[in-house]
Formats: sequence, C-alpha cells, structure tokens
Amino acid sequence: MSLICRTLDARGLPCPQPVILARKALAEGGFDTLEITVDDAASRENLLKFGAYAKCLVEAVEEGGLTRIRLTPQGLAPAPAQADACPLPEGSSGGGPVEVVLLSADGIGQGDPDLARLLMRGFLYTLTEAERVPRRLLLMNSGVKLAVEGSESLANLQKLEARGVEVLACGTCLEFFGLTSRLAVGGITNMYELAGHLMEGPTLSLG
Amino acid sequence: MLLLATYASSHAALRAERALKAAGVAVELIPVPRQVQSLCGFGLLAEVPDGALLQESGAENLWQVGEPQAGHWRRTYEPYL
Repeated sequence: MSLICRTLDARGLPCPQPVILARKALAEGGFDTLEITVDDAASRENLLKFGAYAKCLVEAVEEGGLTRIRLTPQGLAPAPAQADACPLPEGSSGGGPVEVVLLSADGIGQGDPDLARLLMRGFLYTLTEAERVPRRLLLMNSGVKLAVEGSESLANLQKLEARGVEVLACGTCLEFFGLTSRLAVGGITNMYELAGHLMEGPTLSLG
Repeated sequence: MLLLATYASSHAALRAERALKAAGVAVELIPVPRQVQSLCGFGLLAEVPDGALLQESGAENLWQVGEPQAGHWRRTYEPYL
C-alpha cells in the first residue's frame, strides 16, 4: 500500500503562518505524511516544535537554503483544537512552586530603564544561585534581548540552561528586533507553544 | 581569588563596573547577598589576584567569596582584610 503525502509550500510566508497552515492540514487529515517547505529559521524551529507537540514523527531535510519538514501523525496525536486550547496537565492545580518564568521585557518594572535592566540582570544572577529553578524561562517582547550575543545576562541564562532550565525565545519578537541570527542561548518558539507553557502551571511574570 | 566589592550606591556600582570593564577586568554586577551588609543592593563580583583594583574603583567593602557548599547553591562571604 502506498503512503499518501500532502505537500505545502510555505516559502516566503512570515512566521507563524507556516505553523497555522500545518495545523489546519493536520486537522483536515486525509494523508499519511505532511511535507512543508520553509525558507527561514524561525518557521523551521516552530514547525519542528509544533510537530513534536502534535505528537507527529518529525523529519527535517535541509536542501539549498530550504527545509522540508515531514510530519507523520502518530496514533496518539491530539486533535488540533485541543492542542490550541492548551489544557492543563493532569494533576496541575495552578498552585505550588513556579514552573514557568515569563520575562516580557529586558528590564523589571516601569520608570528608569537603566534601573529596570539592572534589576533584571540581578534577578537572573540570583536565579542561577537559587536552590530551585523553574522548568522553563520564556522570553517575549524585549525580553528576547536578554538571550542574544552581547547581552549582560547571557552567561547567566547559559548557566540556567546548564541546570536544566529550558530557555525559549519568541520567534516573532526576535524577528521584530532583527535579532534572530544573534540568539545565543535557548531555542526559538511560537505563540502556540508559549501559550501552552503559560497554561501548564504556576507562572511568574516579570517585565 | 573571588571577591565581592560593595559600594555606597547603585550608581557607584555601575560606574565602577564600567571603569573596570574598560580596564579589561572581568566583573559581574550582582545583587548583594543577604548575609552581606551594604547600603547598596548591588555589588561587583570579580576573580582577581588581590583587592587593589576593586578598592581603586571606589568599593566601600570587600568580601572574599567561598565556593557554594555541597548541595547548596549559596556561597559564603567573609570580610576581606
């Protein structure tokens, strides 16, 4: 029996449109494997993460500046509508220790921007010294500037990553600031994954 | 040795950080730990042969920083004389 492969050409489409196309295609079904072609790093990373999130077998082939990503739905794939809804995991009550820290700016609080950035640097250093660290550190808006080359907090983010903290930067935000190629720690993510993680459990938001 | 320098104000700590980095000294601006008494909330951490450069930067006090205790991420801080 031959396998049915559906192809999507997402070249030139800004992030997150390739992920949205993939999600719609998975919802429609009618194929064994979905192959999406993209031409930028943020879309590639987002599709790889989306594929894993949607419990697909994920393969990526690089070819002449393009990436062809093959998503093969597995038996246990969740319905896409459920994936979008980002349900709380079993046993998650919304209370308890912080699992996720959201940094939505490169400084803490309003007022003097130099003081705000000083406080953020101090917070991230203190986190590296803490006995307990969160599972994930999500960076949005100007918070992504913390994770790029030249950031005063880069070394501390790398220390946190070495301690098992997953550092994830918003791809749209990196692209907005023209910093995608300068990301020096962690991975690139999209709003679907960010929203999912923010709904996973207790979250601390700073920015 | 690893030293922590404390300053009279956050502005003084920031000025010292800029001056030391411009002079090629690797320093890290960190919140002053709770076991160290300082008027300013931020200090400079530096791996240096002695305290001379940090004193010249305007530090009010210097503290020798110990390695984190086993199973414990917090460090120890002893006055540097």
